[in-house]
Amino acid sequence: MPTPNGGLIIETNEQYYAGAQGFVGDNTTDKYTFTFNTKLNLGSPDPTNVNYALNNFKLYASSDGITYTEVTAANWPALYPYTVNAIDNNNSVVDLAGNLPANHVLVCQLKTIDGGNFGSGDAYGTTVEQNYGSYGYLTLKDIVNNFIVGFVGQDKLIPRANRSDIIFHAKRGLQEFSYDTLKSIKSQELNIPPSLSVVLPQDYVNYVRISRIDELGVQRIIYPSNNLTNSPYEIPLQDNLGVPTQDNFGDNVEGTSITEDRWSKANTNLLNQNFNIQLYNEGMDWAGYNWGYGGYWYWGWGEQYGMSPQYAQYNGWFNMNEREGKVSFSSNLVNQLIILEYISDGLAYDLDSRIPKMAEDALYSYISYAILSTRINQPEYIIQRLRREKSAKLRNAKIRLSNVKLDEIVQVMRGKAKWIKR
Amino acid sequence: MVNVNTVYQTVLLILNQQQRGYMTPDEFNKAAIQAQLTIFEGYASDLNQQYRLSQNDTEYSNRIKNIEQKLQFFQRSATPTYDAVNGVFTLLDFATPDAPVVVGTTDVLYRLGSVFYKDQDLGEYVQPNELRQLLLSPLTQPTVTFPIYTYENNVLKVRPSSITSDITISYLAKPRDVIWGFTTNAQGAYLYSEGSSIQFDLDVTEQDELILRILAYAGVIIQDPTIIQAASQAVATQDANEKQ
Repeated sequence: MPTPNGGLIIETNEQYYAGAQGFVGDNTTDKYTFTFNTKLNLGSPDPTNVNYALNNFKLYASSDGITYTEVTAANWPALYPYTVNAIDNNNSVVDLAGNLPANHVLVCQLKTIDGGNFGSGDAYGTTVEQNYGSYGYLTLKDIVNNFIVGFVGQDKLIPRANRSDIIFHAKRGLQEFSYDTLKSIKSQELNIPPSLSVVLPQDYVNYVRISRIDELGVQRIIYPSNNLTNSPYEIPLQDNLGVPTQDNFGDNVEGTSITEDRWSKANTNLLNQNFNIQLYNEGMDWAGYNWGYGGYWYWGWGEQYGMSPQYAQYNGWFNMNEREGKVSFSSNLVNQLIILEYISDGLAYDLDSRIPKMAEDALYSYISYAILSTRINQPEYIIQRLRREKSAKLRNAKIRLSNVKLDEIVQVMRGKAKWIKR
Repeated sequence: MVNVNTVYQTVLLILNQQQRGYMTPDEFNKAAIQAQLTIFEGYASDLNQQYRLSQNDTEYSNRIKNIEQKLQFFQRSATPTYDAVNGVFTLLDFATPDAPVVVGTTDVLYRLGSVFYKDQDLGEYVQPNELRQLLLSPLTQPTVTFPIYTYENNVLKVRPSSITSDITISYLAKPRDVIWGFTTNAQGAYLYSEGSSIQFDLDVTEQDELILRILAYAGVIIQDPTIIQAASQAVATQDANEKQ
């Protein structure tokens, strides 16, 4: 593989794969520029300082290029302490306390899951891994700068545009794309506590899927409770006439939800007909849930006309508790492991603001349309042209990002030849 | 640059035809400063006008390119100093109160161009009312990646306020005041002194217009309407040819 030579790749193979970059000293300089994709964050060079944990790298030095030790006051007093100054792009200059002696080697190791190859191999973290696959993405900053270069200026469709307008529309576009176009599905592995509810993730916008993980690690989809139950948004305490009561400040007094309490104690086997022998023998008609509906003795919920297929599963149910900002689960899921898949809007964190290159052109079109369509005295045919262009490119981006591969479709279609016996 | 002695000698030569009059070095210096400023200040409006006209792509007759080349003599960059007490970047050095200069330079600031953070990120200039709007929207909050700045009372206030260094500016410097420096010989005649002179900062292609404009001022000084008329007509013809 060639070294970076003016293309879009600016990291060497070693920088990308190992997260390391080194320099050989000549005793003439104490400043070394590291050109990772990742900016070096320095909390403190002192391992005894609490901010040392904020560093996303470790700095090592060696006198022979074989044995490396971390640059600390004890190991390398002539080089310690060092500072880091960020310069253009993500380049960072490490400024040592003194010149690196001739033929000594200075290595910066970004933190990685396996700890790296230098010193004690204890540069543990995920900085290197966060950079893996980054070539497939652009940053929001790149998008804004590229847009200004390519679309804004004299003799172009947009002669002048405020940078803040472009940033605004770029961010809005990223939000819209995140909902249904980009691969921005995030997920959390969670345990269901005895309270049967988990807090929504900080960057949660909407859920995609919630699954229970069984003993084999296979995910089993949990379905929304839909018509089964609901978490009320308000629970006003009522007087004996049914009128909500107020406190000294004039606000309604809120109680606790009885609905949620009952749901948390519900035996879900009565809902999905997953009867055990005890329930079976008790006879549902008399002691069971459906008493009074004229059902036969082994019927469960809603089975007067046959069981509703949407409830014929025993993975469990969840419902969104908007009042508390939590997801609530049915009682059979207590202590279970779940995976919550959800979408965010791509703007929550700096690392999120990455746009797949496959959607790059669609975002440019979105910004062009957004800027000109909100500007006065623009010819309508231009607006319509941009609107169609935006839609077409968004469609293209969706197709590209949907990852439909011919071979995979063929593999699925092979199942058509299988006989399904009932 | 246009040589000040060449211009002065040419002006004197034209004036002395038919014994019309004489222009002293002091009179010349004042008229030269005025003429240089008039031409310099015309660049911005000329450029604006040319941007609205279609241009050709030839090597030497693209008017926009030509004007930009004339302006390049005045384009500079500097590093403002951070005033930690007020949280602003100071542009001007008032060591000489009646002649403030851009910090770290000897330039008189004519116009602020762009503001850069870490030599890369272009800060956006906003008016105070725009700033309030931008701060109200979560999507347009200034960040280190997309900083913004206000420019009031000769200081830059950069947001986010975490930016306290690495700000550079590009600006246009005002042309220096022209001086035709001289010594006097035994007979009291003025002799050109290059060492004590300050040349015109304008592009050499402006020599013709400089002479004409100084001549027009000279016509006022020596009270000769024919010179004023002739010089003004020549300047007008030249302008018309350059701008149409």
